[in-house]
Amino acid sequence: MNATVATSVFGVFMVLTVALGLFAVRGRGSGGGLTEWSVGGRSMGTVFIWVLMAGEGYTSFSYLGAAGWGYNHGAPVLYVIAYMSCGYAIGYVVGPMLWSYAREHGLVSITDMVAHRYGRPWLGTAVAILATVCLLPYIQLQITGMGVVVSTISYGAISLNWAYFIAFAVTTGFVVVSGLRGSAWVSVLKDVLVIGTLGFLAIYVPLHYFDGYGPFLDRLVAEKPDWLTFTGHGGSGLGGSWFVTTSFLNSLTVVIFPTTVAGYLGARSADGLRRNAMLLPFYNVLLFVPMLLGMAAIFVVPGLAGPGSNLALFKLVVDSLPAWAVGVIGVAAALSSIVPMAVFMLVIGTMWGKSVLGVMPGLAGRPDRQKTGAQVVVVAAGGLALLLTYTEPNTLVRLSLISYEGMAQLVPMILLGLVWRKLTLWGAVSGLVAGGTLVCALVFTENDPLWGVNAGAVALGLNLVVALAVSWLGPKTADERPDSEVLATDPGPDVPVVSGTV
Amino acid sequence: MLKRPALLWLLAPYALFLGALPLVDRVHPTVIGLPFLFFWLLLATLLTPAAVFLAWRGDRKRGRV
Repeated sequence: MNATVATSVFGVFMVLTVALGLFAVRGRGSGGGLTEWSVGGRSMGTVFIWVLMAGEGYTSFSYLGAAGWGYNHGAPVLYVIAYMSCGYAIGYVVGPMLWSYAREHGLVSITDMVAHRYGRPWLGTAVAILATVCLLPYIQLQITGMGVVVSTISYGAISLNWAYFIAFAVTTGFVVVSGLRGSAWVSVLKDVLVIGTLGFLAIYVPLHYFDGYGPFLDRLVAEKPDWLTFTGHGGSGLGGSWFVTTSFLNSLTVVIFPTTVAGYLGARSADGLRRNAMLLPFYNVLLFVPMLLGMAAIFVVPGLAGPGSNLALFKLVVDSLPAWAVGVIGVAAALSSIVPMAVFMLVIGTMWGKSVLGVMPGLAGRPDRQKTGAQVVVVAAGGLALLLTYTEPNTLVRLSLISYEGMAQLVPMILLGLVWRKLTLWGAVSGLVAGGTLVCALVFTENDPLWGVNAGAVALGLNLVVALAVSWLGPKTADERPDSEVLATDPGPDVPVVSGTV
Repeated sequence: MLKRPALLWLLAPYALFLGALPLVDRVHPTVIGLPFLFFWLLLATLLTPAAVFLAWRGDRKRGRV
């Protein structure tokens, strides 16, 4: 009975999700090419950009990993809130800058920004391949995350393997057709459900199990103090210096992360992005909820170990609520996998459509063909992640360890390169190679964190030193273009568009 | 940066979340029941939009945005 109710609620919402995603592009025909599909025709207002970027940032990690870390370690999980807040704040400057650069030169992703800045299409291709390797694990994390949620909230009626497939099918079902605009529309449904269900759980769980926040927090402080400061419980080795370096590194990385940039480029105006930078950090308050509930689960369902601790929050939900409510909360969590997964797949498609396939003779200068190529890549990337989830789950799990720290190595090439002309092509490339190599070396030899410092931050330091040294001493490539053509600048106040003049 | 001094407000979240950490990494005193570290980071989360707002207002006054 429970299984039927919860599964039905889930099924109805999944159909609704695909319908909503497809509905988003009604009446827009198939025109617009890659720009319409990849960045919503650069036409989204402040509210839509907020909804989309909030939707991207709040992934299945928020429900599973955040609660699981809270349950296992406590305080170290707070780095997520720290880096997102700092990153959203500097997005106030970076967002409008990248937006106007892309708009002026007709660019749709970080890879063709790089190709344009350094005047080398092959560099865009190389960065696209590198970024894909870093992003694929995230798609798998969303697939497996949604899998465990769906199988839990259906009381086991839907098996893990079927749940993985549903994650892939629903996401592909709309994103191939409707691109970024469809993802933004699905985000509306997602944000409403996430805000509603987490707001409810934040009040309900402490009342139900502890007679309110006072007794819950008192008990936490009295009995579990080692969860409440660094390094947290259980010898995680994640101390204050790890927290500071990780948050700092990730705050720089998140502003150039391909999915964030897709959100920036979708905006209609620079001022919309600035307003968004003011409003977006409010969403981070919601991240405290799964962390606190994860710690509440320490008292209610003690003894979860390994991957089981990721279900800390859902154990409480299934234990204390009727089936229909379990279904609704499951839908919110499932959409938290679907929306980020859609945007991950979308940006992989975009990068390949423009920077890998787009440099081939038959597709160069043909946005319609590039869009078709991108759509094929979306299905292929999602299919590959699904296939690896079934056959070689550990490969992508291993790769995911270097995902964020590897992506961070693009920061000098993109952020510094776009504002500082003296950073040369070979400087940027050497820095990336040095930093990327060091990240892999440290992570795969299990030296992350290194002396309490995030390995990616150590590698970024090396990256920067190499990039500056090679730029200063190494070969200079001739580039006749003026600075205004190559560098990004702040667009300044929005210029009202006056039609009919000229 | 010198032309837009208000952008220094964007460093406020870094100061609150990261710079202040050694001082706030403690359980006591609890504030409205919250362990101090969690209270502080919640406060920092709520002050971040205010810091971005101040940057925006400063830019506005100088006609930069």
